[in-house]
Amino acid sequence: MFNGFLKKIFGREGSGNQAKQRLQFALIYDKLEISDDILNLLQQDIVDVISRYFEIDKKSLQLDIRKTEGRSALVVNTPILSAKRQKPIVREDPKLNRANEKKGKHSGSHR
Amino acid sequence: MAGNTLTQSRCSLEGKVIVITSGKGGVGKTTTTASIGAALALEGKQVAVVDMDIGLRNLDVVMGLENRIVFNVIDAIKGKCKIRQAAIKDRRIENLYLFPASQSDNKDVVKPDEMVRFCKMLRKEFDYILLDCPAGIERGFENSIAPADEAVVVCTPDISSIRDADRVIGLLYAKSITPKLILNRIVPDMVARGDMLSHQDVVDILSIELIGLVRMDDQVVVATNTGLPLVLQKDSTAGEAFRRIAQRLNGQKDIPIQIPQSTKSIWKTIGQKLGLGK
Repeated sequence: MFNGFLKKIFGREGSGNQAKQRLQFALIYDKLEISDDILNLLQQDIVDVISRYFEIDKKSLQLDIRKTEGRSALVVNTPILSAKRQKPIVREDPKLNRANEKKGKHSGSHR
Repeated sequence: MAGNTLTQSRCSLEGKVIVITSGKGGVGKTTTTASIGAALALEGKQVAVVDMDIGLRNLDVVMGLENRIVFNVIDAIKGKCKIRQAAIKDRRIENLYLFPASQSDNKDVVKPDEMVRFCKMLRKEFDYILLDCPAGIERGFENSIAPADEAVVVCTPDISSIRDADRVIGLLYAKSITPKLILNRIVPDMVARGDMLSHQDVVDILSIELIGLVRMDDQVVVATNTGLPLVLQKDSTAGEAFRRIAQRLNGQKDIPIQIPQSTKSIWKTIGQKLGLGK
């Protein structure tokens, strides 16, 4: 009882929750058969693309694959520090320059 | 040797083949098979338990029948003996028969369609045929699931066991079998302090129907040591859980699934009621 009580007070959770989270990721990765390396490459590419338009904190970008109702969703979450005012380096087409749009969350569905 | 009971009593419907599987080894498949088999026989059913772990037999020692093996399941499948000659009758529990694995062959001596044919013959003699599947997802697994009508997946609340169970569940679905889950070796105290996945967590992750929760129980080791049926052990929580699982499998769906509780102190119980811990 006291264990549980102390944990309630200090907010420390047992290793069971950790196990659950790790398992859920493991199972999703197992099914997609996508490796950590590929995910890292994907993350790098996403960082590069977003960086053309926004100043972002590259280190706190999170890339998750979540399972919702039988589907897997790729969720990218990144805090935006500021929008870039100048024209993006790569894109020449002005219609595609949407650097002024401010959005805290960037997400898309996979599959 | 299995004698009269084998031929005389069954006349009605065909028996049901249930595979007990897990993917990972050492999670309690053999104990589960032996216990559910014994419990179904105690319910008055004609039961055959088949050790499918060809080359690494163990169901015989767990059931305390290792001294009585003459023929084995491979002999019966290959026609080297009559089916009833390979069936060892349990002397303690009426209507319970074991088909031991062969110790000298390997899993490749049998093909899935031979198992289907073999089980077709067993269905005429028994109400329930329980197949104790070997660990892994290779030939032994394929042989075991080929004739199965139903599947029971045994899993313990640890990451590797659940991951393997998930894989096996996928393979069973691919064969159009909807498996049911037994969560084995639950330690309620650890669940209460958040250091073990709860049964809800496991059901969330695997999302299949639960058919029983079995507490970690010292009596399992004692039963295996002595070769006595766990379900006949008086103060065995696991034995009791397996008896209830057998009743549920046998169609008594209204029997509630009991959640293993910590038996230690009243304070803990009060704490749980107050929502401290989990």
